[in-house]
Amino acid sequence: MLSQQELARYERQIMMPDWGEAGQEKLKQAKIMVAGAGGLGSAVLTYLTVAGVGRIRIIDGDRVDLSNLNRQTLHSDKDIGRKKVDSAKERLEALNEDIRIEAVGQMITEENVLDLVADFPIVDALDNLAARLLLNRVALRRNLPLFHGAVCGFEGRATTMIPGQTPCLRCLYQGVLPGRIPVVGVTPAVIGCVQATEVIKYIIGIGELLTSRLLIYDGLSLRFSETKLRKDPDCAECQSTQ
Amino acid sequence: MNVNVRVSSLLRKFTNWQEMVAVTGDTAIECLRNLEAQFPSIREWLYDQQGELLSQVQIFVNGERAYTHELTNPLRDGDEVFIVLAIGGG
Repeated sequence: MLSQQELARYERQIMMPDWGEAGQEKLKQAKIMVAGAGGLGSAVLTYLTVAGVGRIRIIDGDRVDLSNLNRQTLHSDKDIGRKKVDSAKERLEALNEDIRIEAVGQMITEENVLDLVADFPIVDALDNLAARLLLNRVALRRNLPLFHGAVCGFEGRATTMIPGQTPCLRCLYQGVLPGRIPVVGVTPAVIGCVQATEVIKYIIGIGELLTSRLLIYDGLSLRFSETKLRKDPDCAECQSTQ
Repeated sequence: MNVNVRVSSLLRKFTNWQEMVAVTGDTAIECLRNLEAQFPSIREWLYDQQGELLSQVQIFVNGERAYTHELTNPLRDGDEVFIVLAIGGG
């Protein structure tokens, strides 16, 4: 049941015909895990928070560094040296006091990933392929949706993975561009908002998801394009969970 | 076959900022080689020292993902081969 404060807070989205109080109640009852409180995570977390997703678990083992602040808008100069999950939690709680934020200041490893994910739908806002693939494995084994985003410079990618229906991240990625990734803050903001849009639609059950499609964002030409994805017949991850 | 090779923005500095490059080739792998012949500096972004396609290079033919074993499938006139680099920043 939505409180008077919640009805007022979310009034402008409840107005949408496919959303309504029922949609808002679904968001309130929902939970989501966001892996990464960096550039993508800043955008995803901000918009899931203000939309009213009831329970959000943030996982990130990093601490805030000055070089993060061109893109990681959950953190500010006063947070340098703090755990990112702590500054993120503080900022998000200030944005919306009606939801519950859990901060887990740990790196994702093979040993802890099952416990960290539990049965939460997964937002992949990470910055390294090894940890992304750990999340992918858990998503496949536990039948959890995974909302993927990645960025470099002015380019970004996003796709939504539903186990059993779509290709997995291992189908998509055999490797990634190595080295330190250049990035301008607007790029993870765009892609993170795409991921948040997908999560909201998934929870409420509206619209068409970005499944079996890879969205390619080219900020320099300001063009979004899309390619079709299909399962890699040789994908070891998909085969091991069939 | 006359094929259009589309390059993602991360590779465009190697094609004089052209997004679409006209090449000839009967397969995607042949088109990549012909692209490289026109723009040799793109080579190190596509292939390793043994001449194998780098793992981060993703190929889409007419908008659909083509896996390694499919890169020798025959193309038709007017097909599009899209080269995308897999990226991992967050």
